[in-house]
Amino acid sequence: MSEERVISHSDIEKAINSVKAIKDGPRALQLYMDICAKCGTCAEQCHVSKANPNRRTNPAARSDLIRKLYKQDGSILTKISGLLNGNNKSLSADDLQTWVRDFYECSGCRRCALYCPFGIDNSVITRKGRAIVHALGLSPKMMVQTQETSDKFGNDEGQTYKSFMNAVEFLESELEEEHGIPIKIPVDQEADILFVPASADLISFPETQMGSATFFHAAGLNWTMSSKAFDGANFGLFTGDDAHMKRKNKVLHDACLELKVKKLVIGECGHAYRIAKRIGGPFYWGNDIPYEVTNIFILAAEKLRKGAFKLDPGRNAEPVTYHDPCNFARSTGVIEEPRALLRACVTDFREMTPNRENNWCCGGGGGLAVMDGKEGVKKNEVTFMEYRMNVGGKMKLNQIKETGAKYVAAPCANCKRQIMQLMDYHKMDVKVGGVFDLFDKAVILDK
Amino acid sequence: MTVIKLVVGGILPYITLVVFLWGIIYKIRKWNKAAQGKMTLYPTPSTPGGKWRKIIKEILIFQSLFKGNRALWGGTWIFHASLALIFIGHFRVVTDFPILWRALGMGKDDVDTFSATVGGIAGLIILVMGIYLLFRRMVIQRVKEISDGEDYFTLGLILAIIISGDIMRFITHFDLVQSREYFAALVTFSRVSVPADPAFLVHFFLGQLLIIYIPFSKFLHIPGAFYSKSIIYQE
Repeated sequence: MSEERVISHSDIEKAINSVKAIKDGPRALQLYMDICAKCGTCAEQCHVSKANPNRRTNPAARSDLIRKLYKQDGSILTKISGLLNGNNKSLSADDLQTWVRDFYECSGCRRCALYCPFGIDNSVITRKGRAIVHALGLSPKMMVQTQETSDKFGNDEGQTYKSFMNAVEFLESELEEEHGIPIKIPVDQEADILFVPASADLISFPETQMGSATFFHAAGLNWTMSSKAFDGANFGLFTGDDAHMKRKNKVLHDACLELKVKKLVIGECGHAYRIAKRIGGPFYWGNDIPYEVTNIFILAAEKLRKGAFKLDPGRNAEPVTYHDPCNFARSTGVIEEPRALLRACVTDFREMTPNRENNWCCGGGGGLAVMDGKEGVKKNEVTFMEYRMNVGGKMKLNQIKETGAKYVAAPCANCKRQIMQLMDYHKMDVKVGGVFDLFDKAVILDK
Repeated sequence: MTVIKLVVGGILPYITLVVFLWGIIYKIRKWNKAAQGKMTLYPTPSTPGGKWRKIIKEILIFQSLFKGNRALWGGTWIFHASLALIFIGHFRVVTDFPILWRALGMGKDDVDTFSATVGGIAGLIILVMGIYLLFRRMVIQRVKEISDGEDYFTLGLILAIIISGDIMRFITHFDLVQSREYFAALVTFSRVSVPADPAFLVHFFLGQLLIIYIPFSKFLHIPGAFYSKSIIYQE
């Protein structure tokens, strides 16, 4: 692992070659290398940069790690401009170690892209940086382990068929106890809908999973889960490992074909939905795939409009706020649907400021939420946990405080973990969970 | 002086034209050739018409920057708007538009007064805004820490062009008849008589340097903004 890893000359060469390869695309990266005017706007709009203002956290400076290297193309022009910039320095082993930490301090939330006058999305550069260190085997330990587990078991938690079925059985008995009627979680059955949450929901956030099952029941939908594909989480997005991303998406694709479903419905997991909808699905497997990719919020908002179920918001009387996960709001446009559902499920709904696409990242995005220790990254001053609690999560903490809410609905396994730890660390008496946790309490079922 | 006039006025313009066109076509072809997956940033218009309206709005009023950094927006929008006016005004340096003036019912003196007023004001405003941009780069820590030689060089170049232009406008009172004759000779590959005003020579030399520099520098944000916005507004 990376602790014993000595960076060789050929590692450095590989890294430089990967940077040079940007000249062949993608277009966004090329543009970002060419057009940044260094106006500094991103620094004002980045949660990390705001919480800990210094050169290293400045998004433009982070992107410059790659940009400056890219611009050293050996031509006379760049040598002259190199003199101007002091930018004739090549990449050192030390720099490369720093890269790991630097590119994992950016959570890839894309907020900078919203405010940049040219729409430069620094997360694309961050992901390129992560891809380079990943190819050299320098990724943080937890990232590597999670991918390995996922490749072996088909889910990030390393659950087997047996443990999955046990979890389903347990959740069904909990559901029956709560509602007084049996609510099934169908597994491996041919159905209209294949439901895929983040597998973390089955263990760490069971209320969200239960609420989702109750929703399918209440709306009278013909649905199933798959014992092979019950995890939409996909760390390939975080590590820059495109091959892994595609492999993991194939697990879902195969299950959809096997169970002959018409819809793949992703649960409360922003990046899972982004990959299934915007990166994988038809983009990997062709436009003629027999299923449509959608999301449980879109489905639930539609059923809510049609009055498919009755809700009693009085059962959720405490003040509730909603955290927009980056991958739902900015990357997939799921913004109003969860709000419509929440407003129908609770009596005191409070918006954070700013909200919707302008929302601050929780500080756990881009896979950061699962990293607690130093993760074998050499150049780190503090553990990832301390970083997340004091830097990455600072803006979110203040936002939540201002609402006075007692419950934060955060429909993303990463956001949930990050905000839970954040509340705990800063001794806030605030509960953190999903939107469907609240739905489960509010819904009135026919007995 | 003769040599300088010959180089700046007789030779460099052709080099500028060739290098600029080659550079910009090379870059744009490269962008066009590069593959790009979907990376929509929501919320975004769902129709192509809506997308282009949003892009044009961005280009005209810098909407994202307005939301992201109000102070910079004020300075840089006025800077770019003045630049656009000045750019349009420069067509008169190359040739005259008598048909347009007649259509607008303006006599020669009217045109000169109008152009002196608008151009003069724009020339002063852009100077102030250019100094503001340099000032914030040197003073605001978050901008200073990401600025390097290139950023100061580009701003310095622009300021030098503005100042030499303002000198012509307000001090040496540059003669347009002279420049029109010169440009007419230049485009017909005839023997040119280059205007001798030193401010003109400096202004023209630096202006050409800027044009040459566009395809190789962050000035690429001029064509690039359309491309990069178009990627994230793509539904």
